[in-house]
Amino acid sequence: MKAFKLSIAFLLALAAATLLFFSFQAKDSLPQLLERMDPHQAALQDAQMQKARDRVLDSFAEGNRERTLRNLDRYTGGFSDSLVMDSRTGFELFFYENGPSLSALGMFLLVAATALTGLVFSRQGKWRRAALPVVLIAALYAGVYILENMVGGSSMLMTVLKKGAIYALVAVSMNLLNGFTGLFSLGQAGFMLIGAYIFAIFTIPVESRPQVYQYYAGGLIQFEMPTLVAMVLAGLGAAFFAWLIGLPVLRLKSDYLAIATLGFAEIIRAVFQYDGLGPITNGSNLLRRFPTFQTALFPFAVAGVSIALIALLIHSTYGRSFKAIRDDEVAAEAMGINLYRHKQMAFVISSFFAGIGGALLAMYQTTVQAAAFTSAMTYEILLIVVIGGMGSLSGSVMASFLFVAASEWWLRFLDNETMMGSFRVPLLRSGFRMVAFSVVIMVVVLFYRQGIMGDRELSIARLTRWLGRRGKGGRDG
Amino acid sequence: MAERVLELQHVTMQFGGVVAVDNLSMHIDQGEIVALIGPNGAGKTTAFNCITGVYVPTAGQVRYQGQVIVSAQPQGKMKALYAGSYKDFPSQRVTSTPDAITKLGVARTFQNIRLFKTQTAFENVLIATHLHRSSNLFTAALRLNHREEKQLREHALKMLEAVGLMDEKDELATSLPYGKQRRLEIARALATNPKLLLLDEPAAGMNPQETDALGQFIQEVRERFDLTIFLIEHHMDLVMDISERIYVIDFGRQIATGLPQEIQDNPDVVTAYLGVEEE
Repeated sequence: MKAFKLSIAFLLALAAATLLFFSFQAKDSLPQLLERMDPHQAALQDAQMQKARDRVLDSFAEGNRERTLRNLDRYTGGFSDSLVMDSRTGFELFFYENGPSLSALGMFLLVAATALTGLVFSRQGKWRRAALPVVLIAALYAGVYILENMVGGSSMLMTVLKKGAIYALVAVSMNLLNGFTGLFSLGQAGFMLIGAYIFAIFTIPVESRPQVYQYYAGGLIQFEMPTLVAMVLAGLGAAFFAWLIGLPVLRLKSDYLAIATLGFAEIIRAVFQYDGLGPITNGSNLLRRFPTFQTALFPFAVAGVSIALIALLIHSTYGRSFKAIRDDEVAAEAMGINLYRHKQMAFVISSFFAGIGGALLAMYQTTVQAAAFTSAMTYEILLIVVIGGMGSLSGSVMASFLFVAASEWWLRFLDNETMMGSFRVPLLRSGFRMVAFSVVIMVVVLFYRQGIMGDRELSIARLTRWLGRRGKGGRDG
Repeated sequence: MAERVLELQHVTMQFGGVVAVDNLSMHIDQGEIVALIGPNGAGKTTAFNCITGVYVPTAGQVRYQGQVIVSAQPQGKMKALYAGSYKDFPSQRVTSTPDAITKLGVARTFQNIRLFKTQTAFENVLIATHLHRSSNLFTAALRLNHREEKQLREHALKMLEAVGLMDEKDELATSLPYGKQRRLEIARALATNPKLLLLDEPAAGMNPQETDALGQFIQEVRERFDLTIFLIEHHMDLVMDISERIYVIDFGRQIATGLPQEIQDNPDVVTAYLGVEEE
């Protein structure tokens, strides 16, 4: 059995190495490939063909992969008669065209092979349990990357996935506070706004600032930071404001936090649009030209790492204290848990990740404007948390993808006036989507208070049990 | 003389016009089991809450191992409203939050059981071990404290084992039968490594056999963990059985103190419990 597993792992690694090697090699070898496709120099005789070929090489030299692929397609499609397409050329062409997807697949296979080898050699239960989740996570990331290369980065599917990942992070950060510590905060949009602005302000390239801050003489800040540094700073900025709010409010026993944070979110939105702060915030004008996503992997990676950190925190001794406070404040305090300190901690951490979520949202939207961070955004996130289940991280993640897909994609038709023949479907008009969501939240709160997951977490054991039960139920019925 | 673990001096707690605890002075020595008894509404739990920092008393002092943990005099509106019999207030003002008092080594249970409802028995106890942690937020979240974490888990298991709940450790705390919930509360309090354990009506709702077992259990726990125990109780059998000294309060005032047999024969106590016979 051991030898069998090892040989499987070896084969996987071999396949991975092959994929990685060829896709890596194909990346730079397009000019040679074109030479080989045209051994008789047919292009020299045909001006049009020459032009098409030059276009391919030009866009390749520019490094614009998307355009190169388009031109290459036109070239090979239009002049297929004059081009020699033997199996080796076809093979290399395939690897050039699908390079990113194939290398993602290669990376995934490599992870799988490593996990399998680890499984064979490790005796500790801890590592054995980690193997399957690691492979699944690698599959998820490889899948997202391959999907992006197949359907294109600007397709509706990728839009939903990117926004879903960002909302997942923000929903999880809100769940840390509302679901795990039992503090009710309504300031998520405010903290996201701070994060988005800090990120945008510090990453707009210096040479673009005169255009962005055209009404404020190029703005006050004349330097820029790397994306990741600005992102951490965005989180820290949001966390700082949370700390300030928490200083007085979290010492009180009752639910003043909701009121204070709601007020804060409204005030901060007005403050950032204030003309006097224009040299920094650009007043009520857009901030733009800061770095945006190159690939959907970026929001997935940042959200994934952040959610993993929150999950680790929740399962640590501090997370246990948070849950104790949620369950019974009096008993928690009698067990020596300092209520103020732990509430402040949960609030600051939640806001830190909301700030990072805000920075991601800025990158996703490519522009930032304070007016967009309304309390409606907070309610959207609250809706996600409630639907997913208060106290379930995986519930929040699932619900945010569902919510974003529904609101951006599946339920779009509710906002459009629709004619069936000459019959105008009633109620369908702009804004009706939000009515549908209101009904959903009412139904959830009234009949399905636990949400999708309640306070349980998705796990492989639970999933297989559930699938097993379904399968058995199916046979019985 | 044995070491004074807890000392109350003139503790007075007034809510509006009601003096719930009036000029209560008492002391508990190392290793003792002391009971505070009195009819319903006599102010027993209020006295407990003054010791554990849930309430700041209107006036009086509480010392724990000689250290003043609470010291108060009427403030604000209370200055005019004050109706307690004790007038010679301490000059300093010291207040402690419940968590600070627990950190010093005073643990308690609650009259109406207050377990962490969504947690298992083991997790309930594990939460209470957090006082022994030295990890900070980052080392805890990044699992750099796994050795300490292991110790905490072992400690929690030891406490569960001490109260005989090992078989129920993975059950939801609220799904346990009543008597076991009481034991779990004691295990949770023990997990904070207390020197003084305050039990608020530990036998409430128990039948005579269970009460008997509880009495033995309390004595065992005291031996094993070298504790001093202060309990509020209604069950006279239990109180007379295990306590070494008894304080009796009625309407917030201390009406008697002494050894169990002295209390049993004290006419004031009998009156307080049974009422005055009309002639």
